[in-house]
Amino acid sequence: MQVGFAVNILNSLPFGPLAFMLVLPLVGALIAYFAGKGGRIVTLLVTAVELGLSILLILGTDTSSIISTDPEAGMNFITTFIIGTIPVGSPGHPITTFQFILGVDGLSVIMILLSNLVVFVAALSSNHIHKSEGFYYSLFLLLQTGLIGVFMSLDLIGFFVFWELVLIPMFFIIGRWGEEGCEHAAVKFFIYTHLGSAVMLVAFFVLYFIAGSEAGIYTFALIQTPGGTEGLRTILPSLAPMVQIGFALAIFMGAGVKLPVWPLHNWLPWAHVKAPTPGSVILAGILLKMGGYTFIRLGLWLVPSAFTRLSIPFAVLAIFTCIYAAFTAMAQTDLKSLVAYTSINHMSWVLLGVAVAAFAIGLDPTVTSNLRFINAANLALQGSIFMMFSHGTIISVMFIMAGELKYTAGTREIPAIQGLMNRAPRMSAILILASFAAFGLPGFSGFIAEALVIFGSVVIYLWAGLIVFGIFVTVGYVLWMLNRIVFSDPDPEKEVSEAPWSDLIAPILMMIPVILLGIWPDLVLEFTQSVVTFIIGGIAP
Amino acid sequence: MMLLQLTDIANIIRQLFSPLKDFLLAVVPPGWLMSLPSLTLVAFAFIALIVGLKYNPLGISFIGVLLAIVEMVTLSPSDPAIVNLIGTGGVSFGQFVRDPMADFFIYIVLIVGFLVLMSSTLYGGDKGPYNFLLLISFAGALWVVMATDLVALFLSWEVMSTPTYVLVALGPGREAIDGATKYFVMGLLASMLMLFGIAIVFGVTGTTNIVEVASAVQNIWTTFGTNPNAAYTILLAVVLFVVSFGFKVGIFPGWQWVPDAYASADGSVTAYLAGGSKKTGVGALMRLLVIGFIAAQTQWTFLIVAVAILTMIIGNVLALAQRDIMRMLAYSSIAMMGYLFIGIASATNPAINLEAYTIGVGAALFHAFAHALMKSAAFILVWALSIKLAKRVTYDDLAGLNKRSPLAAGLLAILMLSLAGMPLTVGFWSKLMLFLSAVTAGMWWLAIIGLLNSVFSLGYYLRVLRYTYMVKAPDESHISLPTIPLAAVVVCVIAIIGLFLFPWVVWDYAWAAVPVP
Repeated sequence: MQVGFAVNILNSLPFGPLAFMLVLPLVGALIAYFAGKGGRIVTLLVTAVELGLSILLILGTDTSSIISTDPEAGMNFITTFIIGTIPVGSPGHPITTFQFILGVDGLSVIMILLSNLVVFVAALSSNHIHKSEGFYYSLFLLLQTGLIGVFMSLDLIGFFVFWELVLIPMFFIIGRWGEEGCEHAAVKFFIYTHLGSAVMLVAFFVLYFIAGSEAGIYTFALIQTPGGTEGLRTILPSLAPMVQIGFALAIFMGAGVKLPVWPLHNWLPWAHVKAPTPGSVILAGILLKMGGYTFIRLGLWLVPSAFTRLSIPFAVLAIFTCIYAAFTAMAQTDLKSLVAYTSINHMSWVLLGVAVAAFAIGLDPTVTSNLRFINAANLALQGSIFMMFSHGTIISVMFIMAGELKYTAGTREIPAIQGLMNRAPRMSAILILASFAAFGLPGFSGFIAEALVIFGSVVIYLWAGLIVFGIFVTVGYVLWMLNRIVFSDPDPEKEVSEAPWSDLIAPILMMIPVILLGIWPDLVLEFTQSVVTFIIGGIAP
Repeated sequence: MMLLQLTDIANIIRQLFSPLKDFLLAVVPPGWLMSLPSLTLVAFAFIALIVGLKYNPLGISFIGVLLAIVEMVTLSPSDPAIVNLIGTGGVSFGQFVRDPMADFFIYIVLIVGFLVLMSSTLYGGDKGPYNFLLLISFAGALWVVMATDLVALFLSWEVMSTPTYVLVALGPGREAIDGATKYFVMGLLASMLMLFGIAIVFGVTGTTNIVEVASAVQNIWTTFGTNPNAAYTILLAVVLFVVSFGFKVGIFPGWQWVPDAYASADGSVTAYLAGGSKKTGVGALMRLLVIGFIAAQTQWTFLIVAVAILTMIIGNVLALAQRDIMRMLAYSSIAMMGYLFIGIASATNPAINLEAYTIGVGAALFHAFAHALMKSAAFILVWALSIKLAKRVTYDDLAGLNKRSPLAAGLLAILMLSLAGMPLTVGFWSKLMLFLSAVTAGMWWLAIIGLLNSVFSLGYYLRVLRYTYMVKAPDESHISLPTIPLAAVVVCVIAIIGLFLFPWVVWDYAWAAVPVP
C-alpha cells in the first residue's frame, strides 16, 4: 500500500524524509534546552509532528512483496551520508566508506511508529517532572533521535552509533530524575548494555574483515546502495558457517541484553523500577524492542542460516525465560517491579517467534510437506513483530498507572494499596483493562500476538507449547495483583485519591491502539507481511 | 580521492601572508626554512624572557605560536618556490624533514600549545621564565617529530624534555617538587636508555639516519639465517627505544611518574604534557617503528601488543581507585595511550597487509589528535575549577556542579563521554578505528581486550557524570570560571562534537600522514 500524497509530502521534506525525522528532534532538543519550562511544549510539538510523519511514512512505504534477489531488499527512501573514507587502496580492495545508510521497509516503519507513539505518550506523562525541565526534555528528544535512528540504519556503523547514542540520554534520565537509589541503577544499565554492544561491535569488525578478505569487498553496508558495492546481506551466505554462527552469537549478546533474555536480564528490574515514569515507559516500550528488532534485522534477516542452526537453543532459552520471569514477577510486591518482570516475560515470546521462524528458513517451498512449516514460521514471526508492537503499547499504560499510584496512594507496594475500585474508579478501570490486555485476554492486542506465536510454534516444535505454562502463571499473578489492589476492601486508615484527568490522558490515548489492534490486527500485519515473507524465503524472481 | 577540506582555509592564509613568505625565502638560508617554526619559537622564547623582566610576556608567546602556525601553513614543503630552493621532501639541516606525518604532529603540538597559553592566563603565565621554558619546549617538540636522524632526535628530545622538568617543579604546591623529581629522575633514565639504543643501532648498522637504518635492518633480516646476532642486537635496541620513548608517552613500564607529575604540576603544564609532549613521543616512536624497523615488524608487534594490554589495564584499574580528578585523568591518559598502541601494534608490514598498515597507523594518528583535544581540554577545565575552589578537585567537589556552573558541568560531561568513546563525540570514532585496525590485522582478541577495558573505564567516567549531575551539592554557591581558559575548553568541545559529525576534516589528513611504504 503506497499512498501518492504521502510520498509527495515525504519527498518534499528537506534532506529526505528519514534524515528529516532524525534531525528534527535534535533541533528540538537544542531549543528545548534553552526554553527551560517551555521545553515541554516544544517536546510535545516535536513528538506530535514526528508521530504524524511516521504515519505518513507508513502510508508512503511500498509494502508489496519483495523479490528474494532484490539487492536493496525492498527498502524505501534509501539515503546515504558519507562520514569518511579509508584509503585502503591496493588493487582488488576498494576504498572503505564509513557511511550512514538510511532506509525503511514494512518492519522498520512499524517500529518507527511504535517509537514515536511511545515517546509522545511518555512526553505527555512527563507532567510530574519539575526539576531542570529544559535539560530533561532536550535529553528526551535526543533519545528519540537515537531510537528511530536504530530502526532506520542499514549499515553496521550507523546502527551502532544510534544504538550507543540511546544510552547517554537514558543514563541521565534514570539517574537524574529517578527514585531513591537511581544513580546505581543508571550506572548498572549503562555498563550492562555497553558490554553487550561491545561484543557486538567486535563481531561487526570481524565480519567486515572476513567479508573483505574472502569476498574482496570491505564494507559495513547491509544492502547494496545505488552506485555502491554489494551489501553484507548478499555477501554473508558465502562465508563459512562458523563465521555466521559466531556473528549470530555476538548479536545474541548485544540484543539479548536489551531484550532481555535470561541470564542477561539483571539490569532490567533495577533500571525500570528506579527510573521516573516516562523513563520506564520508554525503557519498556521501545528500548526492549530495539533488542527484538535487532534479533530480526541483524539476525534472521542478515544471517538466516546461522539462526536456523541456533533455533532450538534460542527457543529453549525463550521458554525458560518466560516461565522464570513469570514466577519472579509473582514474588514482587512493588507494582512497578512486577510490571518490569512482565516485560521480560512477554519479550521472551519475541525470541521464541524468531527462533521458530528460523527453522523454516531455507526450506524448499516447492516440496509440499515443507509448506506447513513455512506457513507456521510465517505466523510465528508475524506474532513476534505484533508482540513487540502490542507489548510496547500495553506496558506503557501499565507503567504509567504504576507511577500514578505513587502519587495518589503514596506507595506502589501492592499489599499497602487497598480498595482502589471504591476510591478511584477511573484509575481502576484503566488498570483492569491494561492488566487484561497484558495477560492476553481475547479482544486485546496481546491475545493476537500470543496466539500467532503459539500457533506457529507448536507446528514446528511441539514442546514449544510449554510456554503456555508461562501464560497460566501470568494470568495468575496479574489477577492476584488486581485482587489485592483493586477488588479488596478499602482500608479507612489509608488515603487513596482519584487521579486527575490530566494524568489519565496519556494512558487512555495509549489504550486506543491496544483495543484497536485487538479487533483489527491487520493494521500492523498488513505492513509487515511482505518483510516476513521475504525473510522466510521470499518470492522467487 | 582525498577531500582535505581545510586546504581552502590554508590557501587563504597563504595568500594573506605571501609577502611574508617572499621575504622569508629571500632572507632565510634555504637549509633553515623548514625548521623556521621551531626557530621562531626559540627566538620568541628569548624575547619573552627579556620582556618578562618588566612586563607580562604572555602576549609575546601568543604571537610566537601564531607566527609558527602561519609559517607552518605558508612554508609548505610542496610549494614550487620552496622545492626550487631546497628540493622535495622538506629537509632542514639535513636531519629534519617535514613529511605529512611530521606536519600532523606539529599541528597537534601547536594547537595544544595555543590552548595551554590560553590556560596560562589563569596562573603562571605572567612570568618570563615560564614562557621561556614553555616556548623552548614547543620548539623541541616540533624538532622531535621532524627528526629523521637518531642523534638529531636525541638532541631535540632533550630540548623538549629539559624545560618540562622545571615547568613541573614550578607548580603551585609543595608536592610539585616531588613530582618533578620523580619525573626528572625517570626522564634521565629514559634518556640514557635512548642513548644506549642509538649507540647499539649505530654499532650494528653504521648509520644513524632512520631511512638508512631501515634498509640496513632489511638486509639484516634477509640474512638472518647466516648472521642472527645482528638481528638480536637490533631487537634489543627496539626494546630500549620502546621503553625510553614510552616513558614520555606514559606507557608500561615507564608510567609511574605520570600521575605524580600530572597531578602536582600547574594544570596548564599538565595539559601540555598530556596533550602535546606525549604525542611527540608517539610520533618519534612511530617514525622509528614503522619507518626504521618495519622489517622487524613481526618481532616488535608482540612487544607493542604486550605494552598496549598492560598499559590499558594498569591505567584503567588504577584510575578507578582515584578520588582526585587530576590523578584520575592522569591514569585515564595512561589508558588512552594503551588504546593508541593497539593502532601501532596493528601496523603490519605494508608489503604483507597494506589494509592493516594503513588503518593501524592512520587510527593511531587520529587518536593522537582526538586525545590531544580531549585531554588538554579536560586538564584545563579541572585546573580552572581547582584554582577557583582553591583546592585539589576531588569527586566530592564536583557534586552538584550542574547547579553551581551548568556550562562547566556540560563541558566536563561531554569530555568524559568523549574519553569513554560514546557517540556524538570524536572519541567514538577514534576508538572505533583503533579496534577496527586490530581486527583488520587479525588480532580480534586485542580488540576485545581493548573494548573490555573501554567498558571498565566507564566505571570512573560515569562516576564523574554521577557526581556532577546526580549528587546534591553541599553548598550551592555559584562558581564563575575564568573566561579565557573556559573559551579554550569550549573551542575544544565544539571541535570534539564537530569532528563526530565531520570526522573526515581531520581523518583525511591522518590517512595522508601515513608514511608511504
